[in-house]
Amino acid sequence: MKSVALKILGALVVLWAAATFTFFVQAALPGDRATLLLNQDSGQIKKRTAAELAPINEEFGFDKPLVQQYADYLGGLATGDLGISYQKKAPVTEIIGEQILPTVWLTLAALVAAWVIALLLTLFTTRRSRVVKTLGSGFETLSAALPHYWLGVILLVVFAIQLSIFPVEGGTSLYGLILPALTLAIPLAGFLGQVTRDEFENVLDEPFITSARARGMGDFEVRWRHALRHAVLPAITLSGWALGALFSGAVIAEIVFARQGIGQILVTAANARDVPVVAGIVMVVAFVYVIANLLVDLAYRIVDPRIQT
Amino acid sequence: MSAAPITPVGPATTRVDVSGALRGVRPGLALAFAIVGFFVVSALLPALLAPYDPFDVNLRDALQAPTLAHPLGTDQSGRDVLSRVIYGARESLYIGLAATALSLTIALVLGVAAGLSGKFTDGVINRFIEVLFAFPVLLLALLFVTVFGAGTTTLIVAVGVGTAPGYARMIRGQVLAVKNSGYVEAAGALGHSYPRIVRRHILPNAMRPLVVLLTLGVGQAIVWASGLAFLGLGVAPPSPEWGAQLDAGRTYITQAWWLEVMPGLAIVWFALALTAIGRWIQQRLEGGQR
Amino acid sequence: MRTPKTLLPLALLAAGLTLAACGGNDSASGGDPGAAFAGATPVKGGTISYGHEQEPPCLIGGWVQQAYIERQFADSLVSQVKEGEIVPWLATKWKVSDDQKTWTFTLKPGVKFTDGTPLNAAAVKTNFETWLNPKSLNPTVDAYIGEYYKSSKALNDTTFELTLTKPYAPLLSALSQGYFGILSPKQLAKGPQVNCEQPVGSGPFIVKKWNRGKNIEFVKNPNYNSAPANAKHQGPAYVDGITWKFLGDQTVRYGSLTSGESNVIYNVPTVNWKDAKQKFEVQQYITPGRPVTFSLNTVKGPFTDKLVRQAFGYAADRKAAVESAFNDVIPYNGNGALSQSTPDYDKGLADAYPYDPEKAAQLLDQAGWKENGDGVREKDGKKLTVNLVYPAGAVFSAEGATALQNIQEQLKQVGFDAKLTAATQSEVFSGKYSTPDSYDAITWYWTSPTAGVLYIVWRQNLKDRPNGNNSSFYNNPTLENTIEKANSTLDPAEQKALYAKAQKIIVDEAAAIGLYTQTTSLASEPKLRDVWIENSQGEPVFHDAFFAKEGGDS
Repeated sequence: MKSVALKILGALVVLWAAATFTFFVQAALPGDRATLLLNQDSGQIKKRTAAELAPINEEFGFDKPLVQQYADYLGGLATGDLGISYQKKAPVTEIIGEQILPTVWLTLAALVAAWVIALLLTLFTTRRSRVVKTLGSGFETLSAALPHYWLGVILLVVFAIQLSIFPVEGGTSLYGLILPALTLAIPLAGFLGQVTRDEFENVLDEPFITSARARGMGDFEVRWRHALRHAVLPAITLSGWALGALFSGAVIAEIVFARQGIGQILVTAANARDVPVVAGIVMVVAFVYVIANLLVDLAYRIVDPRIQT
Repeated sequence: MSAAPITPVGPATTRVDVSGALRGVRPGLALAFAIVGFFVVSALLPALLAPYDPFDVNLRDALQAPTLAHPLGTDQSGRDVLSRVIYGARESLYIGLAATALSLTIALVLGVAAGLSGKFTDGVINRFIEVLFAFPVLLLALLFVTVFGAGTTTLIVAVGVGTAPGYARMIRGQVLAVKNSGYVEAAGALGHSYPRIVRRHILPNAMRPLVVLLTLGVGQAIVWASGLAFLGLGVAPPSPEWGAQLDAGRTYITQAWWLEVMPGLAIVWFALALTAIGRWIQQRLEGGQR
Repeated sequence: MRTPKTLLPLALLAAGLTLAACGGNDSASGGDPGAAFAGATPVKGGTISYGHEQEPPCLIGGWVQQAYIERQFADSLVSQVKEGEIVPWLATKWKVSDDQKTWTFTLKPGVKFTDGTPLNAAAVKTNFETWLNPKSLNPTVDAYIGEYYKSSKALNDTTFELTLTKPYAPLLSALSQGYFGILSPKQLAKGPQVNCEQPVGSGPFIVKKWNRGKNIEFVKNPNYNSAPANAKHQGPAYVDGITWKFLGDQTVRYGSLTSGESNVIYNVPTVNWKDAKQKFEVQQYITPGRPVTFSLNTVKGPFTDKLVRQAFGYAADRKAAVESAFNDVIPYNGNGALSQSTPDYDKGLADAYPYDPEKAAQLLDQAGWKENGDGVREKDGKKLTVNLVYPAGAVFSAEGATALQNIQEQLKQVGFDAKLTAATQSEVFSGKYSTPDSYDAITWYWTSPTAGVLYIVWRQNLKDRPNGNNSSFYNNPTLENTIEKANSTLDPAEQKALYAKAQKIIVDEAAAIGLYTQTTSLASEPKLRDVWIENSQGEPVFHDAFFAKEGGDS
């Protein structure tokens, strides 16, 4: 019980620090936010007069002391209020709420796909003939080095535009999810595959595997029932970490495939210096990250019963 | 699914297997060194390798498919893509090295401090690393670009800070492992002072994986930096930085695939080559330790 | 000249797949893809899937992206057709007093907003007051009429009176733009937040739902009875609605048209233009107003010297640079003051500052900028370095950036050390590049249906009357007076002469150097008929559009 409470406290501290960091980095931005708002609204570039800026400063509280702005921000966070978007004039919570589902689906689909690819590679190519082994590890190394944006553009042009196998607009359909998900999954699969392969090879040398074989267990069963279970442990830990990388990749995939989601909103907001939206997304991602890593902790315990607390 | 033929596996094969893998890697390794060498020369002395001036606009030759005269084709302004890839190596390499150097510096400070200090400080630093982890690289970079504007320095700082927590955690682990190892205890028993133990034993051993991280990190940093350029938030044209070329090439991809494929291949090959070299160094280091 | 390009190597690279034949929308002949459907009678039903480019932060406002959207759900008082002629819309007729300060508009009776409230003179008055209220300011409306607006009055239900502070001839042109769409006062009273997402007008379509980052769902207004006189039909739209999708990536946008996921797309990528002309119905609209130009900083740096500004104009083959970068799709605009499609545009200035490197060199010599060994000219120990700033991203497009790079190289030949600075959208909009010490030249444009835009752009920037839109910081009382006089002259010939004089001053002084025009282009599949582009801002109009039946089986 105590350790669970400590973990939650730790998570809160991480979130608070993330909020503080985000707030102060963005408060440091050069240029004038009120000017930006006015100019963006009108598609003009010009210097604004004090009289034009005053109502905007008042509305968004830019004229308040920084400490108070910070306090307001933290107070809002505690009540789930992420502020009002400068650009969209709507509550940030609402904007993120509208956009987060497609991103979550994309991220989860990519994670699952990456695991499936990585496991198949490990199961069927580790400790096989030299050719198979080289092919397997070669694929892993290559795919781990593929940049998301490049892979995404090429998948899009080849499979959607030229071959017309998949829809060009990602959309929200399951079919439209395939290419964006593969864009994220292939590099991650390569990475996970490398890790599980190393571990898998080590495990295959363990005495309990030898004894299983001695009991007459088939090769596939040995790999599936015994070796894999141990080999995936480090990769599970990495999956929590991979969430961050996946999220970064999702931003790019959403841009490449013109897909609805948090990535689109984020890039637009970053471009427009919409502080509440960027900060809000950062907070949501941090939250998801912290929760996900708690879950990974638990998953680890289930897979590896040796760890008991 | 039927069982595949059983490969004879015995405890004794481990060593043999490692050297076997190494032997298998060798031609690949030579290629990796060749690729890295090529790009390093490109970065230092681009004029030596590039057939044309990378900025030389020639509108009549715009968007030419690869030919003997232009092995990688020409871009929308008639500039030679090969020359631009070669000249782009400097900017990309510089960003990659600088970001990795920054990243490793932050990681070293955090990792060593956490590894060496008491439980409380370790906990605080660990939490800090955790906070950094909660910011995906790209998101952090977008935040920095928003605040400080796009440009090389922003890219370096963003990628450097964004990739630091992973390395910090590894270094901390390494320091802890060394600290708790038998020979450090032995040195303590021999009456060596703590600073001396740190200086002579812990740090050198903890630094060992840095070489590997450096090679792997540079490739990753280049990939991230070009990703930002791809979103239009990195280095701007006419710079031949690889990501900037990819961003510009995207516009023409259905008409001139080489603009997107060639700089992309440069990034992939370079990252692959660095990975191969990093792995090789890792294996050698581990082999040496045993 | 160009070799055929396929994506074969790409396909092989990715998966070793063979390349399937691409595209399937070819019509029988290469000539007119829509021939089979020409003259088809309108059919009701269907939803248009429209692939647009940029998404604005709100559905109403002062940005051209908002004018595009407002055209779908709101009506304006008047509409503009080619050559600047004004036709009735919500206002059936209008007259102006002899002193040209009082305009009286007679409104179409029986028009209702889609929330049921009547569109009467009081509603129009509320709109004017809302646009110009500092709390809910529409900055573009303000730029056009802020200085001229005095008051508005509802004389009776259908008579609206607008009083100006001084005569303003371009008023009707200004009112024809989407920014001036009349919205429901009942909805406006709910404040900017509600109206950002759920604005209510009297237009042919109703905003049903805005799925941010994805699309806007429009449904047809079944009671629509207020189409402008230049519409192809009166009454409700033929289609049931529009799905207005935001497809920022141009490869995706064009791909969604070729794959049939979109019926019509905005801004056809210039690289696909030729292909699109063969497979689809394409139309291009050249936006009037201020074209894309270099504004040269006339108060600080090397461009304070007129000779250097002129040399800058002669130094580069801007025409070739633009035509090559835009694949011969978007026209070069040598006149730095007005776009070639603006009423009162002076054709005589179309070839201002042709490519003439020798003349450029001579002018620079004359100005005291001398060659030295390294190719960059010098004067008093200072290098001829100029910082050219342009807004990166969708506002300027990749092709625009290419044109600038082409020009940059040629500037170097003459001895300019030209630096290109790609400013992010936020940097530009936050005013980082709005002061004389932040650039030597900046590229910008202002889409407008009238030469009256010159007043917005070139009015002097004075302490007590600042004009932030004067990005050349060029203060010339003669120029301002000329434009002001043109703006208040109703005699077309005299007005044209005055606008021509103003353009000549701007061009002769080389305060701005022309590059190319903004354009709106649409490509639609052949069976989608009668989509058109209106004339004030290039807003796409879907009210008359319908899906023709295939092969007469209706």
